[in-house]
This record gives sequence, C-alpha cells and structure tokens, in this order.
Amino acid sequence: MNMSELKKPKQKTRYINPYLGGVLLGLVLLAANFISGRGLGASGAAKSVIVATVNTVTPGHAENTLFYNEYNESHPEGPLKAWLVFQMLGVIVGAFISGAVFNRLKFKVEHSPKITSKRRIIFAIIGGILFGFGSQLGRGCTSGSALSGMAVMSLGGFISMAFIFGTAFALAWFFRKNWI
Amino acid sequence: MKPRLYLALFLIPLGLILAAVPADTTHPYKLSPQDLLEHVNSGMQYFSPDEVAHMIVSKDPSLLLVDVRSEDDYEKYHLPGAINIPLSSLLEEQWKDYINQDLRYNVFYSNSTVNANQAWMLSRQLGYQNNYVLQGGLNYWVETIMNPEKPASTSPNEEIAKYDFRKGAGQALGGGAVVETNSSQAAPALPKIAPRPKKKRVQGGC
Amino acid sequence: MGPLIVNDIITQNTNFFLAFIIGIGFGFVLESSGFSSSRKLAGMFYGYDTVVLKVFFTAAIVAMLGMLFMSLFDWIDLDMVYINPTYLWSTIIGGVIMGAGFIIGGFCPGTSFCAASIGKIDAMFFIAGMFLGVMIFAEVYPFLEDFYKGSFRGTPTLSQALGLKDGIVVLGIIFTALGMFWVGEWAEKKFHREEY
Repeated sequence: MNMSELKKPKQKTRYINPYLGGVLLGLVLLAANFISGRGLGASGAAKSVIVATVNTVTPGHAENTLFYNEYNESHPEGPLKAWLVFQMLGVIVGAFISGAVFNRLKFKVEHSPKITSKRRIIFAIIGGILFGFGSQLGRGCTSGSALSGMAVMSLGGFISMAFIFGTAFALAWFFRKNWI
Repeated sequence: MKPRLYLALFLIPLGLILAAVPADTTHPYKLSPQDLLEHVNSGMQYFSPDEVAHMIVSKDPSLLLVDVRSEDDYEKYHLPGAINIPLSSLLEEQWKDYINQDLRYNVFYSNSTVNANQAWMLSRQLGYQNNYVLQGGLNYWVETIMNPEKPASTSPNEEIAKYDFRKGAGQALGGGAVVETNSSQAAPALPKIAPRPKKKRVQGGC
Repeated sequence: MGPLIVNDIITQNTNFFLAFIIGIGFGFVLESSGFSSSRKLAGMFYGYDTVVLKVFFTAAIVAMLGMLFMSLFDWIDLDMVYINPTYLWSTIIGGVIMGAGFIIGGFCPGTSFCAASIGKIDAMFFIAGMFLGVMIFAEVYPFLEDFYKGSFRGTPTLSQALGLKDGIVVLGIIFTALGMFWVGEWAEKKFHREEY
C-alpha cells in the first residue's frame, strides 16, 4: 500500500506561491525601472534576432524593406546590442536554473490527453505567429506592453492588458478541447 | 491565514499611504508631449547669467532679452538690448511676432524668476518655441555678473576663470555701479547653475 | 538618483550586464511560478488555474507602489522612466491578435522562452512561430504603417486619463486586484481539473 503510493507519479507539481511569485516579479520589474529606466520585455528581443538574421542572410532585402530599414536606422549599434537581448538571455538562464532547482528539466510536449502532440505543436505554431505579429502591431507583448506598461501606469499598458486577456477569454470556448 | 490575506495586509496600507499623500509630492509622471519635445530639444528653460552675459558681450544676434516687468521698472534699468513686454500684456497681438518665432532665443527676465517663469509657461502653453528664462532673474544677475564675488585663491581654476569672465563682462555691461533692483522681493536663494542636463528619457518597450 | 543609467551612474555596458542579471531574476520567477507550463497559463481562461492573474497583477502593483514610493523619497525621477506610448487602435488590434495567439498557442513570448529553456518542445515551436510572425509583420509593414503610427495619444498614464491622483488610482487597482484574486480562488475550486 505504502509502496504503491510512493510509486504513483506525483500529481502536484511544486511551484512557489503565486502571490510570492508576484511580489518577486514586481521587485525585479522595479529593479529594471530603477536601474535602466525601463520595464521588462520579451518580443522586442525576438524582433532584434529577426532583424539581425535578415541583416546577415539577405542584407539587400533588409535595405529594401521599410521595417528593417527603420529599425536599423534607429539602432546604429546593431540590433543585437540591445537591452532586451541581454535581458532575454538572462531569462533563458534563469528559467533553466529554476527548472534545475525544482527538478523540471525534461524534453516533452505538454498537451492535454485529449489531443495529440502533433495537434498541440500545430496550434503552438499558429499561436506563435499570431503573437509575433500582434506584438509588433501592439508595440509589445504581455511583458513589455501590458505588465511593464501597467507598472508605470501607462494607459496603453492597461488597454493592451484588457484586450489581450479579454480576447483570450472571449475565444476560450472555441479552443476548450485543447486545454480541458 | 491565507496568502491572499497576507498580500492584502501588505498592499492595502501601502496603497492607503500613497492615496493620502498630497498629489504634488509625488512628482508628475511626465510632461505633455509638447513639453517633453521642448525639453528634449532645449535641455531646460533656463539660460544662466553667464551664458546670457557671454551672448550680450559677443553681440550674439540669436539672443533677444525680454523684460517682463512693468514699464516703470524697465525705464529705471534694463539689460542691454532688452525689449519690454510687461507680463500683463504678453498676450497682446502686437507681441505675438516676438514670442512666436523660430529665429532667436527669447530670454525672459524679471527681478526674480517668478514672472519670467509665468511668461515662459504661458508661451509654452501656446505652443511657442524658443522662449527661455534668465536663471535667478535680475537679482541674481546683479550678484553674479555686476558684483561677482572673488573666489578664494585656492579655488579651482574654473572658478577663477569664471570670476574673471564675470568681472570683464560686468565692466563691459556698465557694472561696478550699484544697480537698483526692486528690493521688495528679498534676495533669492541662490539657484544652482547646473549645466544643462543632456539626459534623455530611456527608450524602452518591446 | 534613479534611473541609474539616465543619470550616468552606470555605464552602458554595466547596464547590459545588469539587464542579464535582471533577466535571470525574471526567468527564475516566471519558471518557479509555473509560467513554463502552457496548461497553467491557459488555465486562467477556464478558471482552473489563475496563477497568471495572481502573479501578473501582484507584480504590477508591487512595481507601481515601489515606483511611487521611490519617487516620493526622491530616489527615482519618474520623468526619465520609459512610459509606453499610447497608440490607440494599433494597441487594441495588436492586443486582440495577441489574445488569440495566447489561447491558441498557450504561451506568450516571455513564458515561451522560459518553457523552451526547460525543454518544452511545444514552446520551441511557439518561438519559431513567433519569429515567423515578426517576419510576416516586417513584410506587410508598408501597408500597415499608417495604421501602426496613427491614433497617437501621447504617453498618458491611467491617472491622467481618469483625472485622478496616482495614489488613488493605485489604491483602486489594489482593491480591484484583490477582488479578482478572490474570484480566482473561488473559480479554482469550482472548475478544478487534474494536472496532466
């Protein structure tokens, strides 16, 4: 009896208390603002990587395309010498440390038992494309625009937050099979 | 006790303190876009007496001194080349071409900085560019340019060079003589002459 | 005093190094709060797990309070802090597209990097999709430029838009958030789901 209970895979994954997590995240955000005068972000780093890649792979295309042109003009030091790129490298390291500490390092496709891995991955790609596109149009993602924007009480941050979460709530019913 | 209640006990008192603090002690978050643009372009609204003295002595055509005191005060004494636009008539049509232009630096001055700053605020609200304020006003001008204080001989060279310049400028501008200023306004606390800050707001966002 | 970089207290390179350190903190907190699991993230929208709501709002409020207190003590010049500008319509439409991406893909950009870093393969595909999305945006940008740069509203804060003091707005946000947390915890019991 005891043995079988021990062998049963642990149902509860251990995470820190969300309120504690929130306070810690708030302090990190505060530090970013105090040190660098700006909030956290994520999608901006993705943009930097894309611009750097296009600059290297097809420099002609970068010159002829307005988007890359504007970006390169406003970043004379090169796209990769950006605050967000360094921050994002830190994120990858930090998440890895946390995964190692809490024993969560494992290659897997996380998906509901009701759907296949393939379906999960296809939806992940579609979601990624939408998020990538939307974050450029909306000037920042959940971290850069909504969270950091709210921390400095920017009206844009609140609008961004309301529409990201509002839309996700509104569409939740259509995609329920993927998650529950 | 639930973590949520701990959180509430932590956040609500802090929030109450902030809500109770008078608004003007928490600095305004930002200037309006025009203000910001102007600040970015100009550094700040102040011209230091040294800068102005230098421009007067070198007859810099880009300087226009605007005396915003009353006509009487202006008649008694005014800086070389200054025109007189009393604050009360600042918005009259005849002055519009003077304060709304993009050729010169208009430097407003009054005895202290109060009226000059008001003139500057008014013109800025109207969206006019290129208007500035003489730092410390006439009172400070008299103190620094007309009757400069000799620095101790141990002062750094910059201080001594500044003094020499001020003395020369003061003489060129008719200094030495006691200049009357409206003494009903007590001598101002000395404003710091800071170099114009060149700092800019950080560029952020994703 | 603050922000340190604006006042030349630290150099640009130190700033980049500190960005890396800040990133480590960011990544660690996100992962250890469970943001590396799309199941937990999506749980927000079905009520079975509202960790996103709790972490997100607690963090925003703590940072908000911290900034205002620092400003009160003159430790930071809020004029020099980046305020996200408000471009009304591009923010709204961008937000709608991101919301759809969130519920379909199960991640947002920051969390997808965390998840990929601990080995979530779905997150890696999400990131690939995100790169693709940015490239698509780059290609259609000339057509969207007017829309993207239109409806600029300056950089107002919520308190300015409402015409209230910062402190009052923060207090209102705190009460709203605590109310939402209460609803969230209620929903977690009502819509409970087993982990997978």
